[in-house]
Amino acid sequence: MGNIIETKNLSKSFHDPVEFQALKNINVSIKQGEFASIVGSSGSGKSTLLYVLSTLDTDYTGHIFFDGDDLSLKSKNDLAEIRNEKIGFVFQFHYLLPEFTVLENVCLPALKLAKYSEEEIRERAYQKLDLLGLRDQALKKANKLSGGQQQRVAIARALINEPKIIFGDEPTGNLDSKNSQNVFEIFKELKEKFNQSIVVVTHDQHFAERTDRIITLSDGEVISQ
Amino acid sequence: MFKKSPVIKIALTHLLAKKRQTIVAMLGVTFGIAIFIFQAGLMSGFQAYFIDETVNTTANIRIYNEAEKNRKSILSKLYADENKWVVVQNQKPKDELTKIKNGYQIIAALEKDSRVLGVSPFLGSQAIFKVGIAQIAGRVSGVDIIKENVLFDVSKNMRQGDITKLQTIPNGIILGDGLAELLGAKMNDNISITSPLGVTLEMKIVGINHSGLTEVDKSRAYINIRNAQKLLKVDGSYITDINIKLKDFNQAEALAKFYHQKFGFKTVDWKEANASVFSVFKIQNMVTYLIIASILIVSGFGIFNILMMIIYEKMPDIAILKAIGYKDSDIKKIFLTESLIIGMLGGLLGLIIGFFMQKIVGSIRMDIKGFVSMEYLRFNSSPGFYVFAYFFGLLATAIAGYIPARKAAKMDAIDIIRSK
Repeated sequence: MGNIIETKNLSKSFHDPVEFQALKNINVSIKQGEFASIVGSSGSGKSTLLYVLSTLDTDYTGHIFFDGDDLSLKSKNDLAEIRNEKIGFVFQFHYLLPEFTVLENVCLPALKLAKYSEEEIRERAYQKLDLLGLRDQALKKANKLSGGQQQRVAIARALINEPKIIFGDEPTGNLDSKNSQNVFEIFKELKEKFNQSIVVVTHDQHFAERTDRIITLSDGEVISQ
Repeated sequence: MFKKSPVIKIALTHLLAKKRQTIVAMLGVTFGIAIFIFQAGLMSGFQAYFIDETVNTTANIRIYNEAEKNRKSILSKLYADENKWVVVQNQKPKDELTKIKNGYQIIAALEKDSRVLGVSPFLGSQAIFKVGIAQIAGRVSGVDIIKENVLFDVSKNMRQGDITKLQTIPNGIILGDGLAELLGAKMNDNISITSPLGVTLEMKIVGINHSGLTEVDKSRAYINIRNAQKLLKVDGSYITDINIKLKDFNQAEALAKFYHQKFGFKTVDWKEANASVFSVFKIQNMVTYLIIASILIVSGFGIFNILMMIIYEKMPDIAILKAIGYKDSDIKKIFLTESLIIGMLGGLLGLIIGFFMQKIVGSIRMDIKGFVSMEYLRFNSSPGFYVFAYFFGLLATAIAGYIPARKAAKMDAIDIIRSK
C-alpha cells in the first residue's frame, strides 16, 4: 500500500496581523485506504493542516507529495484539476448550493470533470445517493433537507468522481450523535469497500478513537501519530 | 436538468435570487440602448437624409473653369531673370472668360462614358429678382432642364407647375419656394431679372420648386440656358460648368481626378464641395456618442453594483465550487454570464423600446425648416444599426461585469471557509 499523501518539513506561517507559525516541520504520510483523524485543541493548526494537505491552501514551505506528485510545482489550475478528480471534500457547514436540487448538487463535480456523458453522470449520482439512503430526496431543493441529510448529500457529492482521498473538516461538528454515528459508518464503509483514504479533522474524541489512526497536533507540531 | 456546463444555471439562479435588483440593472441597459437607437438613429438618419439631398442637389462631379487670379504680368514674363526687379502696381485680373471651351463637345464625350448617368451644362449668374417694388438678390441657373432633371430630379421637387414649361415657354422661370415667398410671387406672375451686366429680362413664373435645402430654395431660380446666355451677353456655346451624375456616386473622387487630367479643367466632387458640412457631422456624431457612452457607463455601474452584491451573498457557493475543482476561470465565467444575461435581455428590450420611439416620433409632423427642411424626422432604422447598438451595449455590460467577475475568481476559498 503506497502513500497517497506525504509531507516533508511542511511549515506555514501567517503574517497578518502578527507573525505566527501555524505549522512547524510536519512530516506525516497517509496511506491509500487509511482512515485517519487529526485532533488537537482549537488553534493547534489542525484545520490549517487539512487545508494545506487538500491543496486549497498553497501558501506553505516544504513539500507535499500527492499521489507521487510534488504539489509545490503545480499551477493553480492543475491543483483545481487534482481536487476535481482525486479529492472529495466534506465540510462542517454543508456548503451545498441551496437553490439547486440534491441531484444537481451531487452532479456538480462530475459535470466539471466531464469524463462521462450527462446521462451516465446522473446514473452515477443516483448510485451514490442510494449508497447514502437519499434516493427519494434527489429532486428536492438542497435547502429543504435536514442537517444530517445535507451532510450526507455533501458526502455523496464528494464521492461522485470516485476520489482517492476524502477530506472532512469537522464533518460531524454540526450533527447530533445519531447522525455522527451514521457519517462514521459511511466513511468506514467507503474505506473498506472502495479502499478510499479518509482524513478527518475533528474535536469529537469519540469519533477519533474509532478511526485507524489519530494524528495529534499541538501548537503546530505533530505530537503523536 | 441542466446543460453540460452548470455555469449558466448557476448564473440564472443568482439573478433570480435578486429579481428586483436584476430588473433595475437591466432597465439601465434598456434605457441606454433605447436612447442609442433614438438619438443616434435620429442623427444618422438626418445625416443620411442630408447626404441624400446633397447628392441630389450637388453634382457628383462639377467641371468648371477658374479665372486665373494672381497671374504674372507680361513684364515679369519678359524679364524672368530673378536678378531683375519688376514692379507692376494695381494689376487687375484679366477680363478672362470662365467659359469652358468646347463645352458641348466635352458633354458629348462624357455622355458616351459608361460610368456616367447624366451630364448637364450650366451657366450661372447673379441676378436681382424684381416683382413690383420687391427686390431680392439671388442666382439664376441657366440649364437644359431635361438634362438637369436627370441629374437632380427637379420634377420630383416641383411644388407647382411643370419643368417642361421651361422649354416650351421661351421666357419661363422656375423659382425656389423660399424665393417666391420672399418676393410674394405666385404661379404665372411676371417677374423681371437683372444681371450684373445690366441686362434685364421679363420672365413668367412657370413653376415653384422645393429642393429641401433652405438656403438654396431662398435664392435660386432655374431659367433656360439660352436666357442665361442673353443675361450675360455671350454666345450660344458659352457654358461655365458641366455637372455630371455618376452611376455610382462613390466613384466621384477618383473620376473627378480622371476628368481633370483628361479635359484640363478644374473638377470638384460632391464630398469636397460639401467638406464643411461633413466636418459639422463629425462633431455632431462625437457629441451624440459621448452622451450615449455616458448613459451606458451609468448602466454599467448598475450591473457592477448588483454583481458585487451577489458575489458577497454567494461567497459560500464560490468557496465550494472552488473546493470541488472549479477553476478561477469557471467562476469568472459564471459572473460574466450573469452580466451578459442582464445585458442581452436589457439590450433586447432597449431595441424594442427604441424602435417604437422612432416610429412614434417619426410619425409626428414637424415641418422643420433650417439647415434642411423636412416634414417628418428621419431615423436610421436599418438592421445593421440595431445590431451595432446591441453589440455596443453588450460590450459595455461585459466591461462592467468583468471587474466583479475577476474579483470573484480571485477570492480565496480558504478565507471564506475560515470566516464561517
